Amino acid sequence: MGERPRLSQGIVVDELGKTFGSGRRGSARVDAVAGISFHIEPGERCAFIGPNGAGKSTSIKMLTGILRPTSGTATVLGLVPWEQRLTLARRIGTLFGQRSQLWFQLTPRRTYALLASMYGVPGSDRDARLASLGELLDATHLYDRPVRTLSLGERMRCELVASLLHEPEILFLDEPTIGLDLVAKTRFRDLIVRINEEQGTTIFLTSHDVSDIERVANRVIIINHGRIVFDDSVQMLRQSLLKRKLIGVRFEEAVPTLRVSGAAVLTHDGAVAQLEVNTEESPIRSVLDALLEQYPVADISVEDPPLEEIVSHMYERRP
Amino acid sequence: MRSALATLRTAFADGQANRASFVFQIVLMAVNDIAWIVFWGLFFHRVGTANGWTFHDIIVMFSLLTVVAGIGLGLFANCRRIGRMVADSSIDEVLILPVRPLGQLLCRRVEPINLGDLVFGVILFLVAAGPTPERILLFGACVLLGVCVMVAFLVWVGSFTFFVGGRGEHADLGFNALLLLASYPLDFFGGPVRVLLFTIVPAAFITGVPVSLMRHFAPGPFALVVSAAVVLGVLAWSTFHLGLRRYASGSLWMR
Repeated sequence: MGERPRLSQGIVVDELGKTFGSGRRGSARVDAVAGISFHIEPGERCAFIGPNGAGKSTSIKMLTGILRPTSGTATVLGLVPWEQRLTLARRIGTLFGQRSQLWFQLTPRRTYALLASMYGVPGSDRDARLASLGELLDATHLYDRPVRTLSLGERMRCELVASLLHEPEILFLDEPTIGLDLVAKTRFRDLIVRINEEQGTTIFLTSHDVSDIERVANRVIIINHGRIVFDDSVQMLRQSLLKRKLIGVRFEEAVPTLRVSGAAVLTHDGAVAQLEVNTEESPIRSVLDALLEQYPVADISVEDPPLEEIVSHMYERRP
Repeated sequence: MRSALATLRTAFADGQANRASFVFQIVLMAVNDIAWIVFWGLFFHRVGTANGWTFHDIIVMFSLLTVVAGIGLGLFANCRRIGRMVADSSIDEVLILPVRPLGQLLCRRVEPINLGDLVFGVILFLVAAGPTPERILLFGACVLLGVCVMVAFLVWVGSFTFFVGGRGEHADLGFNALLLLASYPLDFFGGPVRVLLFTIVPAAFITGVPVSLMRHFAPGPFALVVSAAVVLGVLAWSTFHLGLRRYASGSLWMR
């Protein structure tokens, strides 16, 4: 399976908004998505993340043509999703972590046959595609087992085959790792990256699992309260918020009291401590110099805060 | 159409995945239907005729009703679940596919228990309703129109959920009313109820008028049934698609 030529226009979103409820006669009016704009190039792996109720699923549903927006516009592969849903559906793949495309009582192969007929994939192409996807996703041995007998991880691999059977140009994944155990999550994330790298499929992933971003995405859009609060690379996400550094120290012997100018002591237990520095207020170098001068340091490390912490800090931002 | 048929075949395979349960449900429904025939048999044995209806008319009525219900509720089982599917966002499942949503939704579920109606109704007609080539043809036409009326009516009332919300309870109400009123002779009803049967709850087009056509065919009543099927079909299609524009979807876990 070679990489396809990238002729399409990716995803273009312009001031897209969705409001639920009229606000009249006591009905609540909720701005689920409040005028978001972004552009995703073909071949990108974009994580679209945010806390519960941020507007992630509503956005992905508008981009796949399930929902109609109340304001703004969007095109996916040059098509308006809610106006040209039938045409678009042939060119995109979707995988919702909370829903199954597979028929529960039947084998995945039976569902694949049905999907192939819907997407107009001829029998010979279908078989070849199933063979190569089975190899890529290590799922061939699952094709002939009833879906009800598959574990969640196995089922998600079969779901992924179903989403990729018609060679979509963009794969929309809505919380695909939800409910998976750690091993299955890691494997699933690796598969998504392989599909992107080997087939050139654009990945648009919503999740509130920060590890999905680190392992899968090369770009992050953070949405909160229906608005975009961050849109850049994963690296920039770290850098833009790396005013804080964590210093881990191990002393040669137990230190009874620990005070370092420009740093806050987060934990201190005899010969081990963790300090936090706001680099906008105190240069990291001066804090390290002071630490090395005042105490018998055996080992020291400077780390960025975990990405989860950075993202949760982002979530607290009001747009 | 091809993908709808492929879906129907898959739904049928899904419905009979557990063969023992599949057969048991069919037999159970057939026994239930036999109980109804026995009841009406006893009733007409005592009274002879009632409002011009004989036991033979009841046989024809039940043949029609069970075959219509067998096809409508058995092969297109989702027709009575549209409201619930709107409420729990199951409509999403078809909106991500490159297919027309309504046809696809209707074909995605086969209910074995109602296939019991279908088997029973066909046997009843062939054994006890005096089948001749002409009557079989007319019976087939009435069944086809009855299925259209039933499915369209249930899609129509189910689609109200797009506009009024809820969990599709009004669709259940409509379903129960339609089935109940279609299982009694039309001439048992008079006045406002009879008007109801030709309008809001169109049960008369499923059994009442078709039974009269099976007695004596007349173009007028037949055209009336055809018109009802067309009007209800258009009403159901447009209400569903207008509603789809207002579809809010939602999280499955919010139920």
